[in-house]
Amino acid sequence: MYVNIESLDFAYTKRNPVLKNISFSMEEGEVVAILGSSGSGKSTLLRLVSGLEIPTKGKIEVNAETLCNANTFIECEKRQVGMVFQDYALFPHMNVFKNIAFGIKNYSKEAKKQRVLEMLKLINMEEKIYAYPHELSGGQQQRIALARALAPSPDVLLLDEPFSNLDADLKLKIRHELRSIMKMTDMTAIFVTHDYDDAKDIADRIVYLENGRIVHEETIKPD
Amino acid sequence: MLSRLRRNVNIFSVVSVIAAVLIVVPMLNIITEIFSTPTPAWIHIRDNLLRGYIVNTLILVGFVAVFSALLGLFGAYMVTRFEFKGRKLLSWFLILPLAMPSYIAAYAYADMFSYTGTIARFFRRLNLPIIINMMNMEGAIFIFTLTLFPYVYMLTRSALSKQSAAFSENARLLGANKIRTFMRVVLPLLRPALVAGTLLVVLETLNDYGVVAYYNVRVFSFAIFNTWENLGDTQAAIRLSGVLMLLVFAIIFIERMIRGKRQYSIHVKGRPIPRIPLKGWQRFVLPSILWIIMILAFFLPLAQLIYYATLTFTDVFNMGFIFLIINSLTLAITATLLTVIIALMLANYNRGTQNNFKKGLLKITNLGYAIPGAVIAIAVMIFFIDIDHALFPLYRLIDENSPRLVLSSTLIMLTFAFVLRFMAIGYNSIEASYDKVGTKFTEASYSLKASKLKTLLQVDIPMIKHGLISAAIIVFIDVIKELPLTLILRPTNYNTLASEVFRFAREEMLQESAVPALVLIFISSTLIYILTHYKKKEVPINVR
Ligand SMILES: Nc1ncnc2c1ncn2[C@@H]1O[C@H](COP(=O)(O)OP(=O)(O)OP(=O)(O)O)[C@@H](O)[C@H]1O
Ligand SMILES: [Mg+2]
Repeated sequence: MYVNIESLDFAYTKRNPVLKNISFSMEEGEVVAILGSSGSGKSTLLRLVSGLEIPTKGKIEVNAETLCNANTFIECEKRQVGMVFQDYALFPHMNVFKNIAFGIKNYSKEAKKQRVLEMLKLINMEEKIYAYPHELSGGQQQRIALARALAPSPDVLLLDEPFSNLDADLKLKIRHELRSIMKMTDMTAIFVTHDYDDAKDIADRIVYLENGRIVHEETIKPD
Repeated sequence: MLSRLRRNVNIFSVVSVIAAVLIVVPMLNIITEIFSTPTPAWIHIRDNLLRGYIVNTLILVGFVAVFSALLGLFGAYMVTRFEFKGRKLLSWFLILPLAMPSYIAAYAYADMFSYTGTIARFFRRLNLPIIINMMNMEGAIFIFTLTLFPYVYMLTRSALSKQSAAFSENARLLGANKIRTFMRVVLPLLRPALVAGTLLVVLETLNDYGVVAYYNVRVFSFAIFNTWENLGDTQAAIRLSGVLMLLVFAIIFIERMIRGKRQYSIHVKGRPIPRIPLKGWQRFVLPSILWIIMILAFFLPLAQLIYYATLTFTDVFNMGFIFLIINSLTLAITATLLTVIIALMLANYNRGTQNNFKKGLLKITNLGYAIPGAVIAIAVMIFFIDIDHALFPLYRLIDENSPRLVLSSTLIMLTFAFVLRFMAIGYNSIEASYDKVGTKFTEASYSLKASKLKTLLQVDIPMIKHGLISAAIIVFIDVIKELPLTLILRPTNYNTLASEVFRFAREEMLQESAVPALVLIFISSTLIYILTHYKKKEVPINVR
């Protein structure tokens, strides 16, 4: 299995466990949606996979590399994991180009620029290359955040409620775009949502999270 | 046209325009004087001394700016990002050095390191061949850094605690290590606060007269006072002021350039960055550095002053001294009330405006803080003497034997100068609270046909009470420890705590100066305590 998560436990404070015995695995190129109500622990699960939090127990493996288990923990900056935050968090003092280039390592200057342009083409926003985040609409910011996370070619991409800040019309459009980008890049991705339609539209499989436990899984048949 | 005029005339606009005029006219005096024929004294200064003044001023200001930026940033980063024993205490302690006027710290240090001073004797007893001379440029840099870094600390601390965790988490997810995350993301987002805080430090350093006079550091304010008092050459003093103003404007211009124009919000909604517990050697070493800074900046000079006060208390403390305290308090309270009231009018006049005339007026009325005290003092003095000359016929009408100078021999002149200088400080605190409240309540009140005054008293003031109180406290502290304006503009034989400290120090009676100095520090520290604890949130001291 490409992504393998085994009996993960986590608590922010000793008294209140947030995630209990989470296990699931994913194949390469698979898109999994985590569906659950507010406070069920969805964001927390992503923070564990990305390495922003350390689990109390359990194992995470991605692409045959152990990211964390009882005796190893790879820091988040060393993991090949990309993440798009709920509120995008584009660096406000950098323009689009610099934002996307930020995570690209070991590339020559020219190659870096090529990579950024490639990403911008993917999301159809070449003309905004020198714009600053505050000059972009919500939907545009969202796409730039996606491009920024994809640019370093992560092994797995995490998306935390990617549509929560968009209005209904835009959401539909971006949802389709996101799905085609996922397929085009053949990305392995976990995305979090509390909207069943979102999940069904994009994911190959839905994992239901309730009170920190996985209660159900559902495979979506392509229509 | 007339109706439009009438619509725009109200208590807020009238006060604002009058305030702006009263500030501009004295400053114009300085500018016109610069273009008159130069006196021999000025030619001498220009050819022989000016270069030295400029170089010294730049050295002093440059080092103080860099060091206090580093100290302030370090302190702010420590208390917002890490968890350690004593963090809560330190997070307000680090503001406390503002209660220690630079000149008082300077006297205490000069004395401790003098041949007979506590520290010099201590070194000798340990047979350490250490002789440190405080009374030079290095000493002045040391004193200003330690007493002024809290400006940087406060502004960067507030910015750091608002910075969303998402930015640095994102940077790390994109593969940046801790250093790169700090240099490329955390620090650039802090830049506006860091630069604004450093600008305050620079302006305060340029304003000072007490430290540079005692340590004999020949910078501009030293030169202006010297030409004015010892050479008695007003015109040369004004020309020096003019050059200094050019320097100040250049500095402000540079600040605008580094601060950058980009308008963006650094607080994406989301959690602030959680504090990490310090581990290993860092647990002791890093907080110790902060404590050492606190001891050097506050507790050590305080201890020295307390020791001296026990020696001289009985000599100094008498009826006269009580009057001194009353003088200082009444003066400070009057100036504070006036400043806050006018600032409130200005803030109301400018609320939510995009009008260029209003914005310009505001810039002018907030200019005072950027102008060093010595310059304001001379400008105000000339302005009041002019007024007295103009009003002299009127004075004679009232009283046959009226002296020529009436207004300029009263406290009105000094109070006026205080209001002029500290307006920006009061205004910014009030504006910050208005920004938080927004305009909807006020508009609701107007829509209910309440008058401007009624709205102000019953809606606006209660809503921004905290901002008003912090504005008043900050202005009060600044006024009560203010030296250059007080020295030049106070009526003959009118003394305040600050001027007494200065007089004792000048007469080499440092032990006696300890008592008034302690009273000053006590009043200011108490107010800082109230300010930091009354309103649990940020202390807004942003001048802009
Ligand atoms: N930093 C934190 N410290 C302590 N508790 C936290 C922290 N972050 C989240 N929690 C708690 O953990 C639980 C799960 O939070 P999480 O953010 O993972 O939920 P979520 O499913 O993403 O919710 P939402 O849909 O509202 O984003 C909640 O009960 C929350 O209160
Ligand atoms: Mg969430």
